Amino acid sequence: MLEYSLLAGLVFGLYFCLVGLGLNLVFGVMRIVNLAHGDFLMLGAFGAFWLFNLSGLNPVWSVFIMLAVFTALGLPLYYLLVPRLQRAKDPEMLSIILFFGLSQVIEALATIVFGPSERSIPGRVFGSGPVSLLGQSLPAAWIASAIASGVAVLFIYLYLYRTRLGYLTRAVMVHREEALATGIDVDRVSAIAFGIGIALAAIAGVFAPFMLGSVTPAMGPDINIQSFAVIVVGSLGNPLGTILGGIVYGISLAFMQSYFSSWANLLPYVLLIFILLVRPSGLLGRQVRSA
Amino acid sequence: MAPELLHACGLESGYGRVQVLWGTELVVREGETVVLLGANGAGKTTLLKVLMGLLEAWRGELRFAGADIAHTRTDRRVRSGIAYMSEIGCFPGLTIEENIRIGGQFMTAAALRARIDELYAIFPAIAQRRKALASSLSGGQRKMLGIAKALAGNPRLLIMDEPSAGLSPLFVKEVIRALEGFRGQGLSFLIAEQNVKFLELADRVYTLEGGRIGFEGSVAAMHENDALRRAYFGLK
Repeated sequence: MLEYSLLAGLVFGLYFCLVGLGLNLVFGVMRIVNLAHGDFLMLGAFGAFWLFNLSGLNPVWSVFIMLAVFTALGLPLYYLLVPRLQRAKDPEMLSIILFFGLSQVIEALATIVFGPSERSIPGRVFGSGPVSLLGQSLPAAWIASAIASGVAVLFIYLYLYRTRLGYLTRAVMVHREEALATGIDVDRVSAIAFGIGIALAAIAGVFAPFMLGSVTPAMGPDINIQSFAVIVVGSLGNPLGTILGGIVYGISLAFMQSYFSSWANLLPYVLLIFILLVRPSGLLGRQVRSA
Repeated sequence: MAPELLHACGLESGYGRVQVLWGTELVVREGETVVLLGANGAGKTTLLKVLMGLLEAWRGELRFAGADIAHTRTDRRVRSGIAYMSEIGCFPGLTIEENIRIGGQFMTAAALRARIDELYAIFPAIAQRRKALASSLSGGQRKMLGIAKALAGNPRLLIMDEPSAGLSPLFVKEVIRALEGFRGQGLSFLIAEQNVKFLELADRVYTLEGGRIGFEGSVAAMHENDALRRAYFGLK
């Protein structure tokens, strides 16, 4: 039981890295709180569901479609919403209100289009039986989700630390005004980060039917709470801090579900309150907050 | 007389409804070092922000190398050859080499590599620690990094906002020595300062008082002006 919880926790931890990664990237670069993050995840989940139902497309291929579609959607959405916010006196607070409104609109439209019912994709699309890993049996879909999450984290690391656009993005994360003064096209860098951020949410959505059980148009706010728990535990504003936050959250969730299952739903709230009271800068704190 | 590189005429700007600049006029010529002296709150940083496009000019003209740049975006001003070194000067959370690369972001990879090697030769102290975070450098070394970062893109004009801020007199001397090395290479400087030590570098001086230019002339002419001597050098 202990070994299973630990291993399942690591697998879920990797998945929750992916869930929180986009939210933390957007906050780190733009200092805005994207309360519609969970709704973009929900849209990714419904996208994968419909692609599977209509054409039998394996969710692995949906990942690439979601990446392209949501990155492309993010660019105009950024230019429509964010530059206006940045010109306001208190962009962080205004972003909460604006993206809360966007979240409500997306949820309402999704309910009209998809209906309020729970939807799921059968786990057998990743293979007929469970996968044996370190002596434990885990569903193949979980392993696929963990691998996809690991690849996404690696992609974000390479993007931020090994590409020219990446260090320009980190410069914006460190000091937006200095970045402007240095001649960085901050809007272009931010728009790309925003597109990648919501695409990561949509990719996490592709695996949501396997990791979260089922998907509904109303799942966004719950995902937001879990994402906030993950990124606050790691380090708010630093995307790679999300890795630690995701692992801590995943293992804690697996142990809660194994030993105190009726209390498991409280975990994100308890973790959020605990970290904010004890170590508000997150477990990695100042060391990595500056990108 | 060398041709004008930067020409600001009748600039007015401020924050919200508070006007800070009142018809400010300023010229920097090719290869010239101009020091803009002013006390705290005189409007130096505001003027530099307007020159860089970080703050909108409400009124007035602004030309760089003959082109109207009054409404040009900051990144395009930088691309056209104006570099800016703010009081912060560098990105503390990035490595030294990443900082310099950001300064030369518009260059080709090969040209940037060659430029970085040149700058490392000029600033050996930062070259030794190229992979270290800029936050691990001392205040003086950060200023050197700020200069290297600003010069990485081979600008025609370097605008500096209080390069002496937060530095001990010893480090101020080091910064002045480093800047002296770049004079006479065709590069122009506009240095906003309160520290009169920087007049050692100046071909011409402007004083800024309450958002208006109070004096314009040579350092020698400034010394001959009793009021300025009292105000800036503490001499009677």
